[in-house]
Amino acid sequence: MTITHAEADELLGAYALDALTAAEARRLEEHLAGCPEQAAAAAELRTTQSLLALTAGEVQPPPELRQRIRQAVAANPSQSGTVSGPAAAIVPIRRASRMPRWAPRRAYLAVAAALLVSLGVGGLIGYQLSQSQQPLAYTFQGDPTRAPGADARLVYFRDRQQAVLTVSGLPRLTAGHVYEIWLIKGGVPVDEGISADPNGNVAAPISGDVPRFDQLAITIEPGEQQLPTTTPILIGSLRKGH
Amino acid sequence: MSGEPNDQDGEMAAQLKRGDATAIESLYDRYGRLAYGLALRILNDRNAAEDVVQDAFLGVWRNAGSFDGSRGSLRNWLLSVVHNRAIDRLRGTAKTRQEAQLETIERTAGMPDPWETVALDLERKQILEAFQQLPEAQRLALELAYFRGYTHTEIARHLNLPLGTVKGRLRMGLEKMRSYLQARGVTP
Repeated sequence: MTITHAEADELLGAYALDALTAAEARRLEEHLAGCPEQAAAAAELRTTQSLLALTAGEVQPPPELRQRIRQAVAANPSQSGTVSGPAAAIVPIRRASRMPRWAPRRAYLAVAAALLVSLGVGGLIGYQLSQSQQPLAYTFQGDPTRAPGADARLVYFRDRQQAVLTVSGLPRLTAGHVYEIWLIKGGVPVDEGISADPNGNVAAPISGDVPRFDQLAITIEPGEQQLPTTTPILIGSLRKGH
Repeated sequence: MSGEPNDQDGEMAAQLKRGDATAIESLYDRYGRLAYGLALRILNDRNAAEDVVQDAFLGVWRNAGSFDGSRGSLRNWLLSVVHNRAIDRLRGTAKTRQEAQLETIERTAGMPDPWETVALDLERKQILEAFQQLPEAQRLALELAYFRGYTHTEIARHLNLPLGTVKGRLRMGLEKMRSYLQARGVTP
């Protein structure tokens, strides 16, 4: 089944992001093969898509990864190099399982509980609970005095146990400060990462199992902290009925 | 700084083509943090991210002979491999998407290299700004497609939006990013 020029035009953005099914992509590519104008537009969008990789930021890998890659390369000859012969098996990856990321923070429980008392709860405007097979979507607004006009949306995807947080309209950051995101359970905040966009926007994946937590909070901190050191500029309930 | 990364990329690519294994270590030292950051952003799991990065570097090593530096940078290729393998892992469809993955890598490597003209640090800052200045709805759509591996149909279903709206947000998001960067001389 062929597609029209107009239909192809609609699909170009999703195509550049690999967000089409294989069948859709195949039909579009058949069309692009005979349409230089849209093929050029697709290439342009793909170029922009490739830039998204650089929004992830650098993270220092564990030191042993370099050694593992070196060993794997030594065991697998390059197809282009001077080494010949059948490729050996890839070096298997075997590691001891690791502690959950929040485990080391247990030592801070008492401090955290004390801090949370001082944080208070405020700024929650509402939440939406979707149907059982749908993702959970929560919406929040910023504290009326500390972050007036800030809007946050947290979407939790049950099938992958992951969430995405987007926030706009936060107070602008001053030099050296970051927004820090927290999930809170039983009075214990778990660091969910930082964002340092000076314009007051956040778009971040949240790795915690959101429904197991009581609250989401955002603070402004002088660099990433293990526990909140300031009063949240946005805090909201993740519990039905709160 | 402009131009320097690509000079070094060119040398590393030549070494890889000669089967010089030390080039992989140079590549890792230069782009390992970027690769790991990208894999971690997608997978949210350090062990899985490490596996994907190892697999990607090994893939680059084993297929270096097919790399054509005139069609795209080594970094672009490496990050495309990391992205595709991480998304495959997230979707749990590594085998079934193998063919599509190779097509994607080839297609991406054939694009004009977006990194040719600017230094990495400045460029990354501007690209991040370009992403963050997007309206929230477009940013979320790009986030779900690029970093979560959802199709446009899945995004529409999950967010309870018409499919046409999602298609529009994906394209508009990319186009706005491009315009923002072009206005600052970042993209070709």
